[in-house]
Amino acid sequence: MVSFSSLEFLFRFLPVFLILYFAVPVRYRDTVFLVGSLFFYGVGEPAFVLVLIVLTMINYAMGRRIWKLGEGFTIHEWQKNKRKRYMIQAVALDVAALAVFKGLAVFVDNALLPMGISFYIFKMISYQADLVRGEVWSKPDFRKTALYFTMFPQVVQGPIMRYNEGEFDREKTSSLEQFEEGLKYFAVGLGMKVLLADRLAILWNDLQMIGFQSISTPLAWLGAAGYSLRLYFDFWGYSLMASGIMVMLGYEFIENFHHPYAARSVGDFYRRWHMTLGSWFRDYVYIPLGGSRCRKRRLILNLAIVWLLTGIWHGNGFNYVIWGVALGALIIFEKLWYGKYLKKIPILGNLYVLVVIPLTWVVFAITDLKQLGIYFGRLFPFFGGAGQAVNRMDIVRYGQNYSVYLIAGILLCVPGVFQLFEKHKKNPVVVVLLGIVFWASVYFLSSSAGNPFMYLNF
Amino acid sequence: MKFIKRCPFFLLLLITGLLFSALAIAGKNNVYAAQSYDPLKAPILSVLFTGVNDDIYPWQIFTGQTRETMAQADSSGENPDLLEEEQGREGETIPSQEESASSKADTTAGEKEAFVKSGEGSGKEVNVSENEGVSANAIETEKEAGEEVLPPIEPLRESTRDEYLNHISADIYGDAGVLRAAEYEFSTVDESYFDDAMFIGDSRTVGLRDYTDLTEHSDFFCETSLTIYKVMEEDFKGKGTIESALASKDYGKIYLMVGINELGRGTTEDFMAEYTKVVQTLRQLEPEAKIFIQGVMRVTGDKNSSDAIYNNSNINARNNAIATLADNQNIFYIDVNEVVCDEEGNLNTDYTFDQIHLLGTYNDLWKQFLLEHGVKNS
Repeated sequence: MVSFSSLEFLFRFLPVFLILYFAVPVRYRDTVFLVGSLFFYGVGEPAFVLVLIVLTMINYAMGRRIWKLGEGFTIHEWQKNKRKRYMIQAVALDVAALAVFKGLAVFVDNALLPMGISFYIFKMISYQADLVRGEVWSKPDFRKTALYFTMFPQVVQGPIMRYNEGEFDREKTSSLEQFEEGLKYFAVGLGMKVLLADRLAILWNDLQMIGFQSISTPLAWLGAAGYSLRLYFDFWGYSLMASGIMVMLGYEFIENFHHPYAARSVGDFYRRWHMTLGSWFRDYVYIPLGGSRCRKRRLILNLAIVWLLTGIWHGNGFNYVIWGVALGALIIFEKLWYGKYLKKIPILGNLYVLVVIPLTWVVFAITDLKQLGIYFGRLFPFFGGAGQAVNRMDIVRYGQNYSVYLIAGILLCVPGVFQLFEKHKKNPVVVVLLGIVFWASVYFLSSSAGNPFMYLNF
Repeated sequence: MKFIKRCPFFLLLLITGLLFSALAIAGKNNVYAAQSYDPLKAPILSVLFTGVNDDIYPWQIFTGQTRETMAQADSSGENPDLLEEEQGREGETIPSQEESASSKADTTAGEKEAFVKSGEGSGKEVNVSENEGVSANAIETEKEAGEEVLPPIEPLRESTRDEYLNHISADIYGDAGVLRAAEYEFSTVDESYFDDAMFIGDSRTVGLRDYTDLTEHSDFFCETSLTIYKVMEEDFKGKGTIESALASKDYGKIYLMVGINELGRGTTEDFMAEYTKVVQTLRQLEPEAKIFIQGVMRVTGDKNSSDAIYNNSNINARNNAIATLADNQNIFYIDVNEVVCDEEGNLNTDYTFDQIHLLGTYNDLWKQFLLEHGVKNS
């Protein structure tokens, strides 16, 4: 049920929740939202919902101490210092909790990682920091704080919203128009996830089935492109669904992706990809470290720290560390060395991004380092990556099978295409198309029972 | 009217949703009777979509096709898709049943082990006494009595899940066929032997085609999700049907490996009946050709113990069935599992990623196996 693209969520949880949410008086909506969110998480993770609840209570209690010390007209220096100390304690506790569970996942069992913990812990850290920074504007009571940490659209996979973006003091009197708008974003996201990402996921599965040592070089590149698109539409689609639900409930839309594949440098790419995570690292790690207003050596160190942490945050394999370090290195090189050329020469930057980013996604995708080496050998056979039993015509077969999804995916990477939708989303033709996208998604979900690989026959 | 202006998309979804639900409800006791769904997990309208996926369209509720479709749905053999769908869904969504199913697999594991041992042992003259214990004499006689007298097909939809699973995996033939087939002494041949060979199969044979050089010698008629039920009708891309191919060229060998896709459909008897028919048809179309019935390749141990349908006891039961068709003169039974499985008789995990298909490069094992299992004209 915790997947937005499941029939259970679409036709059981969401409608019931929406009816309750809009049936109760406005002032109780937060309560319904909180209870619904805990129910949602509890169904998904019956045991780990306790971790979420405990962490929520601790963070609320610690945050309250910070808030209390900040009340009054004048705040003395000792109060400021104490607030800071409290904040550091709270953040240290959150980081420790995340580290413990990550450690358990890496060294004991992956199943010990509570769902969404990387996301909600980051919310908790930002909450504590924002309290000290004065970016929480009014006294956060328990209900608001708990809702912020646990709200079901964001608890599993983000976006990592900031506390004040939730506007918890404003009563959420959403209008029909707003509901409609959110629903449209949700449908677009669902379509991206089910009709594109889930289909393209099968291509990657096919490559694994063949074995990387036996894929031709063109197919290896097609696979990298397919994986890049799949990841994009999976995550962008998910973010649109999450933000769409938030809009339906009366919250502001939170943008998490802004046409990353139209970026002209890796740095630019990551200002457009998973933007709420990027800005989180910027505001709570990079700038506190000194940001870019410091000496060159320090700048390099700051970027290295941020990207190493980003890598570790993303997964439990060593390949994620390599991935983060590689991105950090690319971004450092861009800052110090060739970034200016990418800016000056028009197409160069785009080409650079479109070649380099899929390669980094391959590192992201393959957790087994030996397999990763084999894949790169197939991508660059002239460096001695001789294949075994390679079928040179495989590109024709897979190219044909997946061309529809690849072409549709590439088109959606062009900023203008999505902007066209946003501009004309009230047009009846667009509305009907969206309806088709929605029901086509439901069709795929029904006939594959939620598992895209059910579609694989032998 | 005001609503249409303010939230047309919401209304569109609402109205189409209600319409689909109405059609699904109308069809539930009718054309969609065989589509199962769990009211807790899915909306009634999913019945409509799974139905459409099985080529049953809502207008059939109102047309004369209703009766026919119903009849089809009832005779499990004729419309196996429905059954598979039902099984697949149940297996997917109800964990307790999944568990019971896997424990089921465990209980049959003993049987299976015995079988595997016998498969290994048969060549080396070991374990023969144990074999006899397993393959009861009754089965032997049943086999002799003939493939013609098939047990009556039970109304599966009324049986419990356990009964059903038991039924589809029923090892009604025992390993007598396998043992007899193993008596034949195959010879090692060179690649030119395959010059007049035809390969028929599902996605596994596609792997053999794409990742060995056998295509330089033989013609491949294979397609992902090919089943014994479709094999003679299938129009293979650019190659036509098997019948037309046999008419236009003289083939000396026909290799056949299908059966894994059929595991969720019908019973061992249904499968065997159809398989027999296909082999007979092939014999008629190409009387001179040697027909190689290939035992269905097994799945890995993990898959075997987690999947209620695509597991090795089901595969073994059906292999035992088709092996009985071998007469060691015109029809031979060969089992590639000898070279791709581990000691426990499960597909070797090193050879596969998805637990079902050989990795590209390991199809060579299969090819080498075929080279070692040639039949020389006497």
